[in-house]
Formats: sequence, structure tokens, C-alpha cells
Amino acid sequence: MKPLTGAPSPAPLLEARAITVRFGGLEAVGGLDMAVARDAIHGLIGPNGAGKTTVLNVLTGFIRPTEGELVFDGAEIGGLGVNGFARRGLARTFQNIRLFGAMTVLESVLVGAHQRFSANALSLVFARRSARAAEAAMIARAYELLEFVGLGADVADRVATTLSYGHQRRVEIARALISAPKLLLLDEPLAGMNAVEKSEIADLVRQVRAQGIAVLLIEHDMQVVRRLCDHLTVLEYGRKLADGPPEDVLADPAVQAAYLGRAR
Amino acid sequence: MDYLGQLLANGLVLGAIYALAAVAFTLVYGVVRLVNFAFGELFMLGAFLTASLMLPEVRLLGTIVPMPGFSLPVAAAGAIALTAALGVLVDRIAYRPLRNAPRLAPLITSIAVSVVLQSLAQTVWGAEELRFPEFHLATLPPVVLFDSIYLSVMDLVVMATALAAMLGLSAFIARSSLGRAMRASAEDQMAATLVGIPVNRVVAAAFAIGSGFAALAGLLYAQTYGFAHSSMGFLPGLKALTAAVLGGIGSIPGAALGGLILGLVEALGSGYLPNGTAWKDAISFVLLVGLLYLRPQGLLGKPELNAAGRGSLLGGASEFGAAWLRAAFAKVDGGLTRAAAAGPRAALALLALAILVGLVVPSDYWLRILTMVVIYGMLASGLNVIVGFAGLLDLGFVAFWAVGSYLTSILFVLVLKDQFGVAPADIWWLLYLNLPLAGLLAAGFAVLLGTPTLRLRGDYLAIMTLGFGEIVRVVAINWMDLTNGPMGIRGIPAPNLFGIALGSPRAQFFFALALAVLVVFAIARLVRSYVGRAWVAIREDEEAAEAMGVPTARYKLYAYAASGFVGGFVGVFYAHSQQYISPLNFSLFENILLLMLVVLGGLGTFVGPFIGALIWIVFLQLALDLPFVQAYPETRFALLGVVLIVLMVFRPQGLAASARVALTMPGARPANAKEAA
Ligand SMILES: Nc1ncnc2c1ncn2[C@@H]1O[C@H](COP(=O)(O)OP(=O)(O)OP(=O)(O)O)[C@@H](O)[C@H]1O
Ligand SMILES: [Mg+2]
Repeated sequence: MKPLTGAPSPAPLLEARAITVRFGGLEAVGGLDMAVARDAIHGLIGPNGAGKTTVLNVLTGFIRPTEGELVFDGAEIGGLGVNGFARRGLARTFQNIRLFGAMTVLESVLVGAHQRFSANALSLVFARRSARAAEAAMIARAYELLEFVGLGADVADRVATTLSYGHQRRVEIARALISAPKLLLLDEPLAGMNAVEKSEIADLVRQVRAQGIAVLLIEHDMQVVRRLCDHLTVLEYGRKLADGPPEDVLADPAVQAAYLGRAR
Repeated sequence: MDYLGQLLANGLVLGAIYALAAVAFTLVYGVVRLVNFAFGELFMLGAFLTASLMLPEVRLLGTIVPMPGFSLPVAAAGAIALTAALGVLVDRIAYRPLRNAPRLAPLITSIAVSVVLQSLAQTVWGAEELRFPEFHLATLPPVVLFDSIYLSVMDLVVMATALAAMLGLSAFIARSSLGRAMRASAEDQMAATLVGIPVNRVVAAAFAIGSGFAALAGLLYAQTYGFAHSSMGFLPGLKALTAAVLGGIGSIPGAALGGLILGLVEALGSGYLPNGTAWKDAISFVLLVGLLYLRPQGLLGKPELNAAGRGSLLGGASEFGAAWLRAAFAKVDGGLTRAAAAGPRAALALLALAILVGLVVPSDYWLRILTMVVIYGMLASGLNVIVGFAGLLDLGFVAFWAVGSYLTSILFVLVLKDQFGVAPADIWWLLYLNLPLAGLLAAGFAVLLGTPTLRLRGDYLAIMTLGFGEIVRVVAINWMDLTNGPMGIRGIPAPNLFGIALGSPRAQFFFALALAVLVVFAIARLVRSYVGRAWVAIREDEEAAEAMGVPTARYKLYAYAASGFVGGFVGVFYAHSQQYISPLNFSLFENILLLMLVVLGGLGTFVGPFIGALIWIVFLQLALDLPFVQAYPETRFALLGVVLIVLMVFRPQGLAASARVALTMPGARPANAKEAA
């Protein structure tokens, strides 16, 4: 394993050790070691089918790895359920957008804030002041975040799944951010977007990091990756091919060979 | 030993019949992942058709019709062929349009098909039993094994037929190209489509064979017990489904194994347990619930069959439908959307209207009916919490209702009046204590029953809740000391407030209305908060909800508890308003009816359950003026079933779907955001 450069902090935010995932006979991820620093925009790249989404699923508890362990923010989290990962501060978006049907944008974003509510059933039924205050605070926060991700307040009451593709991605990001995560994991947030939108989302990612939230993102567009990320992990056939700062990694002949003729 | 041997022999006969019907469930589930509840009714039709074909004449629709008077084998073949054709037709009309719909849709449709077939059978053949004609083999003396075990010749024929049918089916699936295609679709439907297997033909074949097996099982059952009846398919259907799940649904050897185990367990249980025959129905369901808890995939099944289907009925509108139908719905939707946007004002207007109606309606008869509307509306609202908001099909909701009704009736009548001689009027306040108490008790039950179901999804969940509901009903019938058994409890006092009896129909109506306001208010407050958002998120995409930090298992339990609370709460008032309850009030049919009312009105809305209840109960009464309905009252249920099937295909969200419920607390929005919106 190459040493992690540019990460003087000895304790990374997230550390995956010797992660292996097998689906029946297929080894989708093999012995992966990976660390995400506390202030990183960390890119996870690799050809189609390399196992990137599988890794992201492991890091968010969706898939329990066949082998390996996960340490997040100093604690072992491998045994938690999916919502436990979310509660510890890991928030994600999905490669195929998964917004809740029949919910408005505002409501969808508020689902992300679930863990920040605590009113009990009685105070909800009697609409106690504390319950109302918590709701109002989260709604205000949701409006802030909608603006932050570049959506106007006018979309708040539209049914989320009727928005354009690009806007749906932004709603997903707002829904993830409202949980106040420590690490935001984005699965191909730029897919299917035009150049303008891509640079907007890239700016958004930088702003997220500026707020002290680390970002792990999967992306195929090498131009964007080079400019946006400060650390890259390259996967091929489920194994780690390279790991380090973008300029080093992208200059690596093995990485270039992996991408040659495959990606754009 | 002799006794045991005889029980085993009886168990084998019963098991053979269960196994045949289980094959029907398993075959269709394997190919289209649908639990076709209607097989119980095809089972019944097999029995009726065979009996009719064997008789010289039968009374159909009240007129005597000459019949061919075939012998059993010929009649059976005819009945099987007819039922198989009907099965294919049902699939074509009711299920095929829903192939890609969320799983709840075909499940509800199959329940509706069941209701339609049963009501039609009752219309055609009447409400009485049809005696099953004796076949000449049945007159032969019984075979005696080991000097002491008696098996009639027909018992042997039943077992031999079942065995032959099973072996024939196995050979068919292994050898014929259609059979192989069936197995391929069962393994992986997507792949089967890709390699060019004509899936619709395979599905039709599965329905044909499955329906044929159900008919065969039904006619053997009717032959064994000597009669056919329009509701005879219900319990054996559930048992066969249990057997299929027991063996591992989707697996044919599993169905055979499950059927045999169930038949034997039932025979042994009724033979050896104290008062076993009374409890034998509960035995199967306890077995089912235990098995689903410990090993949801069944004995021989594959675990992935229990996968969740994503998306809900409310996600999007169906594209089907004539232009005028869609235009009509669009009009309704426009009005409802506007009304829903008006929020509390619309609700108050509705309440004012209800009060006005309560004040001006002159007839006691209609006041009683309107009270019933409100009661059913409340119950349906409780069911709506779990089905409409959390998206979990619950076929055991009546149990909560029963808990509430029985709690208050037992306390008032069996304990205080009969044991201690306390006059109900002296303790009128107990009713008001019982309302929340029964709610809490039922909620406790709901959590208890809900806990084991948390690991289950979709169809299995529905089957499990159904098992629970049946267990509660069987307990209510058989635990004589507690519930008075089938006689029910009489003399439950009418509601009373500070010594003023509220027994008059008008007082009861207003009492019900007041409770309804409380129920809707409480549900609305919960739904319009983070709790309701968690429920809807679970309904729409459970995994994504979990990834957003929603502990989905816990919130499903909360949904059960809330729905149970409402069931228990309303149950108390129901008992006092009816003044008499018996286990018959809490049958699975009532649960199905409530479900249909919610779906009719609109899942996941506040007004939907009441709209459904109003339409149905008022129609039920008005239709009685029609001479046709007077002659055939069951046709009303058939019509409800048909309406529901049509709705599932053309408008799965129900009539009032566009009265979309906002999921944020009213008044919690910042002022500027309201302007922007
Ligand atoms: N649930 C699963 N069961 C079986 N195989 C799976 C499953 N999920 C992923 N795979 C397989 O694992 C491998 C890695 O898939 P993954 O989706 O992680 O790739 P990816 O790098 O995200 O690709 P893409 O760039 O196309 O999104 C693929 O061969 C895929 O077919
Ligand atoms: Mg991927």
C-alpha cells in the first residue's frame, strides 16, 4: 500500500481494512484497504463494473462485507444496521436516484433529518411547543439547504420525482446533508449532466467540504476528478490499482492502461 | 396404537388434499411471484361444478336446471377443465395488467377476485350446502389395515389421485418444453424473458394447471366431507397456502411435503390435544406463524423469494383507461386537490356538514346506518395507518378491533354484571376509561404480533398477519370462559354520560362523530410529523429510508401500534353501540372489507377511509330496494370486488388519492417560505 500523502492527520475519518465482498462465486471487491481523511474530497474511480458502488454500499452498511472491518470516527461500525451508519454520520446518494415517490421536495429532504427529531407521540399529537419548534427549525434548515444545492424555494412543494433529473440529484444531496453528516458519499453525482451543471455540482461539493464535511465521490469524468479531488482510489476488478493524489494516480501507467479504450 | 394409526391415516387423506391445493399456490407464485388468494375459491368451484355435473338436476339462480348426471371421474374432468379455463381468464383480466405494478396491487386484486367468485357462487348455487352425490365406489365396505385402521375406498382413491397428479406434474415439468420453460421462469423471470420464453404463455399455463389442481383438491375435499358450500374454500385455501409457505413457496416438492405435514399435524393435534378438534384451525396457523418467524423461506424454499418490491400504489397513476374515465377522474382530482389545499377549513366544513346531517336526518334507520359509516370509517382509518401510510398489507387488523370490543364487553357484562352484580349504569364512566385502555392493550398486542413480522416483507407479511387474525378469532370462539364462545356476549350497555343514556340513534351518531374527530385528529397529527414522513418513506423505498437514518423496523412497529390503538379504541365503542358481539363480527371477511374500503376511498389519505365507508354502506342499503338485489344480496359484494379490480388496474390510488396529505406540521413553515410556495 502506498503511503497516504497530504494527510498528516494520523487518524483518518473512515478506514476500511481488507474489505472483501463476494456475490456467490463473483468477487466484487477483493481485500480493499482505504482511508478517507477528515477534510478530503476523495475520488473513487475505476472502469464500469469495477466494484465502486459495491464499496460505497459497504461503507454505508447496505452490504455487509464477506471479510474486513470498518472504522469510522474512531469506532468500529461494521456490525451496525444501515440506519446505524446514517446515525454515525455517513450520508449518501444513489447511482440510480432513489427519491421517495408521492413526497414533495421539502418532505423528502426532511426525511433525511429524521434522526434530528426526538418528540414523542404525545407531544406530536398535542403539538407541544417543543415539537413544533423542532419541526420549524428543520423546515427552515431544509429551505436553507435547498438554496445551498441550487434549488429555489418554489420547488419545495413539487412532488420530488416530477423534477428534472439534475434537480432530483440536488434534492438527494440536500436530503443527505440535512442529517449533518461527517462524510457525504456521492455515487456518480455528475452522471448525465451537461458541462454547466457539472461545474455547478463540483462547486457545491467544494462548498460542502468547506463546511467541514468530508466527501467521497464516484465519478467517471477524469477532467472533473483531476480538478475536484484531492485524493483518489482507483479500483479495477474489485482490487485497488492505485491510491494517492490525483496527479500521481492519473499519471500511473497501470491506471491509464485500465482506462485505455474503456472510458471517455 | 390403533387410535394413532387411524389419526395418521386421516391426516394423510387431509394432507393429500392440502398438498394438491398447495401446488396451485406454489406453481403460480413460482412463475409470477403472486400469492393468488383466489385459489381457495377455485377450490370451491371445483367442488360445486363436479357435484352439479354429477347430479341429474340442480337449482341454479333459483331455477331447476337439468344436468347430465355424469359419474365422478367424468364430472371431475369437466370441472377441472372449466376451473382451469376460469383461472386463465382471471389471470388475463385481473392480474396480467398488473404484472409490473407494485406487489401490493395484485395481492389486493387477488383478494378482490376471491370476494367476487365467492359471492357469485353463492348467488348461483345459493347459501345452503349442496350435498355431494355419492360415487358408487364410496358404497363399498372400508378397507381395514392392521385389523383396526379403517380407510374408505374413497380415501384410498383420494390419496392415489393426489399421488398420481403430483407425479404427473413433476414429469410434466421435467420433460415437456412448457414445463421446462415454467421452471426457467421460476428460477429467473428476467432471464427467461431474455432467452425468449413466451412468458405470458407460461404464466397462463401455470394458472391453468394451478387452477386445475385447486379444483381437484376441492372436489376431493367435498367428496370426502359430502357437501359443497360457497364458503368452503376459505379455510382449506388458507391451509393450503400455509402448506405452500411451510414447504417453501415456489417449490413443488415443498408443497407436497408441507401439505402432508399440515394434514398430519392437524389430525394428530385434533386427536391428542385437549378439546383438539375445536383448536385444530389454530394449530395450523400457530405452525405457520412459528415457521415464518424461524425460517421465513420455508422448509425447502429459497431465501431470496422474500425480496421487497419497491414503490407503492401511490407512486404514479396508471396509464390505462378510457379517455372519459380519465377525464372524470381528472375532474374529481381537481376538486379534491383544491379541497386538500384548503386544509383545516375543508375539514371543518366537512365536519359541519356531518353535524348538519346528523341533526336533520329524521329516520332512526338512516341514523343507524350513518353511525355504521362513521364506525367503519374510523376502523378503516386505523387500517389505513399501516396499509396506506406505512405500505404494509395487514390482514389481521380485525384482531385489534376484537380486542377492544371484547375487553369492554367482558368487563361490563361478564365480570361486573354477572360476577359482581354491578349495574352498568352505575359505572358508566368505565367506558371512557376503556377507550384508551383498549387502545393501549390492542397497541401492545400489535407490537407483540408485529415484532416477529419485522423480518418479513411483502407477501409473507400479509400471510403472517392473516395467521394472527385467524388465531385470535379461533381463540374468541373456543375460549368459552373468557369470551362466551360462539354465543357471543349480550346486553352490553349503550354509552352513557353522567347517567344520561346515549342509546338513541341520534346520540350514538354524534358520539361516533366525536370519536371520529379524535381519531382523525390524532392520526393526522402523527402523520404530519417526522413519524408520518418515516412511514411514507418506508412505504416508498424501505432501503433508502433506512439509509436516511430511519430505523425502519421500529417505525413499522409504531405503525402497527398506532393502527392497533385505533382498532382497540373504536372496538370499545362498536361493542357498546351494537350491544351484542360474537366472533362472527371479527372474521377475515371484515378485514378484507375494511381493506377494500380504504383502497376504494384512497390509501394514505385522511378522507379516503370515510369516503369508502360512506359509498359502500350507503350503497349496501340503497341497493336493497332493487328486486334483483333482494333476490341475490351477495351480488353487492361481487360488485364491490369488481369495482376494486377495475380500480386496481385503472386507478390503484383510489378515488380520493389526490386529497394528498401534507407531511409537515401545519403552521411550522417560515412565513416567507409560505409566500414562495
Ligand atoms: N447484488 C449483487 N449481486 C451480484 N452481483 C453484483 C451485485 N451488485 C454488484 N454485483 C456485481 O459486482 C460487480 C461490481 O459492481 P458495481 O456496481 O460495484 O460496479 P461499479 O464500479 O459501480 O460499476 P458502474 O461504473 O457501472 O456503476 C459487477 O460485476 C456487478 O455485476
Ligand atoms: Mg456503480
